[in-house]
Amino acid sequence: MSFAMAFSKKEDESGLSSYYNNKTTIIQEARVFNESPISPRKCRALLTRIVYLLHVGETFSTQESTTLFFGTTKLFQHKDSALRQAVYLAIKELATTAEDVIMVTASIMKDMQPNSEVIYRPNAIRALCRIIDPSMAQGVERFFKAAIVDKNPAIASAALVSAYHLFPHAKDVVKRWVNEAQEAVNAKSQGYFGSVSTSSSFFGGGNQSSAQTIPSSSNITQYHALGLLYLIRQQDRMAVTKMIQQLGGGKSGAGTTLKNAMALCMLIRYAAKVMEEDPNVQRQMVELLEGWLRHKSDMVNFEAARVICEMKNVTPAQLTKSIAVLQLFLSSPKPVLKFAATRTLASLALSHPTSVAACNVDLENLITDSNRSVATYAITTLLKTGNEASVDRLIKQITGFMSEISDEFKVIIVDAIRSLCLKFPAKHAAMLTFLSGVLRDEGGYDFKRAVVEAIFDMIKFIGECKEQALSHLCEFIEDCEFTKLSVRILHLLGIEGPKSSQPAKYIRFIYNRVVLENAPVRAAAVASMAKFGVNSTDAKLNNSIAVLLNRCLDDVDDEVRDRAALYLKVFKTQTLVEPYIKEDSVLSLAALESKLVSYVKDATASAQPFDVSAIPKISRAQAALESARPSTLDTIGVPAAKSTSSAPPPPTAAETQSAYAEQLAGVAPFANYGPILNSSAKPLPLTESETEYQVTCVKHIFKEHIVFQFNVSNTLPDTVLEQVTMAMQTEDAGLTQDFVLPIASLSAVSSPGIAYVSFTRDEPEDYATATFQCTLQFVSKELDPSTGEPEAEGYEDEYQIEEVELSAGGDYIVPSYTAFGAEWDRLKAGPSVTETFGLGASVESLKAACDSIIEVLNMEPLGGTEVPTSSSVHTLQLSGLVTGGGGKVLVRCRMTFSQGVGVTLELGVRAEKQDVCQLVVSAVGG
Amino acid sequence: MASFFASWFQWLSGFFLSKTAEIAIVGLQASGKTSFVNVIGSGQWSEDVVPTVGFIFKKVRKGNVTLKIWDVAGQPKFRTMWERYCHGVDAIVFILDSADPEKFNTARFELHQLISQPTLSGVPLLVLGNKNDLESHVPVKDLIRDLQLDKITDRPVSCYSCSMKSQHNLDIVLQWLAGRSH
Repeated sequence: MSFAMAFSKKEDESGLSSYYNNKTTIIQEARVFNESPISPRKCRALLTRIVYLLHVGETFSTQESTTLFFGTTKLFQHKDSALRQAVYLAIKELATTAEDVIMVTASIMKDMQPNSEVIYRPNAIRALCRIIDPSMAQGVERFFKAAIVDKNPAIASAALVSAYHLFPHAKDVVKRWVNEAQEAVNAKSQGYFGSVSTSSSFFGGGNQSSAQTIPSSSNITQYHALGLLYLIRQQDRMAVTKMIQQLGGGKSGAGTTLKNAMALCMLIRYAAKVMEEDPNVQRQMVELLEGWLRHKSDMVNFEAARVICEMKNVTPAQLTKSIAVLQLFLSSPKPVLKFAATRTLASLALSHPTSVAACNVDLENLITDSNRSVATYAITTLLKTGNEASVDRLIKQITGFMSEISDEFKVIIVDAIRSLCLKFPAKHAAMLTFLSGVLRDEGGYDFKRAVVEAIFDMIKFIGECKEQALSHLCEFIEDCEFTKLSVRILHLLGIEGPKSSQPAKYIRFIYNRVVLENAPVRAAAVASMAKFGVNSTDAKLNNSIAVLLNRCLDDVDDEVRDRAALYLKVFKTQTLVEPYIKEDSVLSLAALESKLVSYVKDATASAQPFDVSAIPKISRAQAALESARPSTLDTIGVPAAKSTSSAPPPPTAAETQSAYAEQLAGVAPFANYGPILNSSAKPLPLTESETEYQVTCVKHIFKEHIVFQFNVSNTLPDTVLEQVTMAMQTEDAGLTQDFVLPIASLSAVSSPGIAYVSFTRDEPEDYATATFQCTLQFVSKELDPSTGEPEAEGYEDEYQIEEVELSAGGDYIVPSYTAFGAEWDRLKAGPSVTETFGLGASVESLKAACDSIIEVLNMEPLGGTEVPTSSSVHTLQLSGLVTGGGGKVLVRCRMTFSQGVGVTLELGVRAEKQDVCQLVVSAVGG
Repeated sequence: MASFFASWFQWLSGFFLSKTAEIAIVGLQASGKTSFVNVIGSGQWSEDVVPTVGFIFKKVRKGNVTLKIWDVAGQPKFRTMWERYCHGVDAIVFILDSADPEKFNTARFELHQLISQPTLSGVPLLVLGNKNDLESHVPVKDLIRDLQLDKITDRPVSCYSCSMKSQHNLDIVLQWLAGRSH
């Protein structure tokens, strides 16, 4: 009801304003621009409405905004300052959509003249940068240079900000203004009211007679100038470092010319960036930062403290001073300081709880703070730093105001609790009570999910609370509005329930779902019940489950019916239990996806059914890892937005595989090679990471071909490489080079480029292995620094890189999960080879032997056999799939170790093809 | 005292008898449009004038007549925008470099293109053959023929030969413009 009222009220309001501020009305009224004489008041009101409309998201078509734009240009005939300012604001907004905006250039430049002491000069400068095209930047250079160093801060700021916006379009021109910007940074204060920000006045209001701006005392110009300087120099780390040191004013920070607090904050952020990129300057920068901790502005103190707290590898000693500063803020009367300090401490508490513990007394006072955001951060920090004794009290405190804070903060608290459970398992009872309590509260999906995941973690890691937690979850699904959560909980009940002492008590909860819920939940409930039936030995329970499942056969949803029917069938035939319910391996979804994609794309392949046996399998544990639910401590409760770690997550295996497939599909000569059987999982670096030319290699195996993809990067900014090819030589037989696809031209900007070398497999059935000597060949040309064009004459050059190897592991064999014992027995009749090797004295332990065998063969170690339990005897079990339909391959390595002799290895290989066995043996033997 | 009254009277008569005229100045690039505005505005003539980008607005007071002048750029990319600034003015002044007959064809085309716009019908037109201080300039008669001014019948048309540099004939030009004021 209240919602409906609010809605109708809003409609009333917007009804009136939508009539008054309607696009059509405004375009109609735009004729006041053409009236004679002009009424400044009317025009100003109309311009305001245009800007307002654009601000609220209304869009004008090109035609409309061009009309409006030319209307506004007519207003240049009136001298009213306030009107002219409004015109400039409107021009700035319309400039992006209107055509021929260049029309006002001359008029604006007239207003920009250094001798015109008019109030709208800054507005003119700001409008100019929106309307000129980059080629004209040169023409306005003289104006800008003068304006940047103008003694009026509003003009200087306007010019600096405009230069900042022009920079991406006219780099070379703006770069020449660096001296002026430097001068603006160093300019002496114009103001008389102290140095820390008081109000600044960019717009002096509508007085027509006075052309005088009030001198600004904020020194904001320094902030703008610093921004421009950094923009110009950002590519040059040395220059930035030097700038920070110059402007930082030495160790004490007293010598700085920067008076503007925002400029100093900006400088601190640049310092943080430099430190992160180059650890060598960290010591000097930290000295500067510590100086700023004593600056008279709170903002600067906080910024410096935060940067120190977020520094990589920060030591507790370095933290002391900044934590002391933050501690002072905690008792400040200003909420913003308290919030900033608690937020920083909360994120720091994750990595350095002991250092933060010094602030515990002050944080304690904040947990009752009237600002709930501050209180939330205070409590989460205390939870991380506190000891076991304080947990109960804190939890009680939070429970008090959980209902008063937003979902976002609730999630932060729940995450803190979650990490706390694992830290103090003894306190699990109190925490579980808390979690189950908040689970019953109102809340959105994200919050409920956080709580459920916290309980999941407790079940996983704290055995004692399992039954208690499960019963809380059971209660929760009785009244849960989120299908996703219900399904996950039912799945967990299916896994954990049968192991508990009284499985029967969960059945009721689960069956209730079948009766009451929607189709996805019913299906999950059926699967969950079936797991009870399969895992239990209690005949009576099994019977009742069969009865319940029988009832589900009449369900309206076919998925539910199908599942029920499947499980009933499985109950009757015990041999089906193993593959259908207890099966612990799943197909690697990444591999499955890429294979399916290539199958669908390849028209000729559809004659044959899709071969699922070629897909590697992984265990459920691995699958869970790959899907990467944020479940462990390291990701929990980081409240601060980590701006530094915002890089996109690395692509998954599937993404790389399908990206390669797409890339290769775009290269014409590979069109008839057929689907890719395998691509290297990771590009293999063939150079050191800091060399002039960097090369990585990816190998693609096709049915009859092998393609080497070389990603070449040229890091030299002033040279361009042309005709870049890769010369590959090998003494091994079995492969014939087809052709080389060179990179036509490679500069630092266009890097990395891709060169391909293609080989034909002489006998596609053979698994040819080879080692290649690789040499990068190219024509090197210098770039002319003034034009950026390469010089006509270059010289040929070569660059030796590391060898590329085509080997069994990684190229022909991919890891695949399987049940080793059963498969090993099944392949008994198939091809097999057994050989014995002495690995020599260089292999010092069984662990080292296991590691190197796994690396060489690139196969999946099974059942934890990659970690030897005995120091003298060990059996390593490996499983893999051979690409190109080679089938499964299993390896059993029996090893003994004795001091002096080293590791002796008996290698047993069973596979579906004889030459696969040979491939494996030669890989280990070679 | 008498002088005070005289000035007061002048101010008053200026107040009641003052007239304005809005004029748009167009023409090919480098024909002397901005020079014309400068000369009638401040009497200053300069050899080197920066090409106008877009337009410049200027207000000039001559006697009791206030001229509002739109000085529009003449480079090809701006010619399509002439119409917008000629719209609603009391007179269009088309300036021509009379010492450069090669451009006459282009000038004729642009001029007729402009005045054929329906929104500009009836607006008085003044064509000035500028730079008559140069030896090679073309006399008025030939200008009228080359620009086919005799074919324009729907509006008052005048054509003078003049020079911004020597300020020749500018007095009659101003007189003509003052005649358009209201």
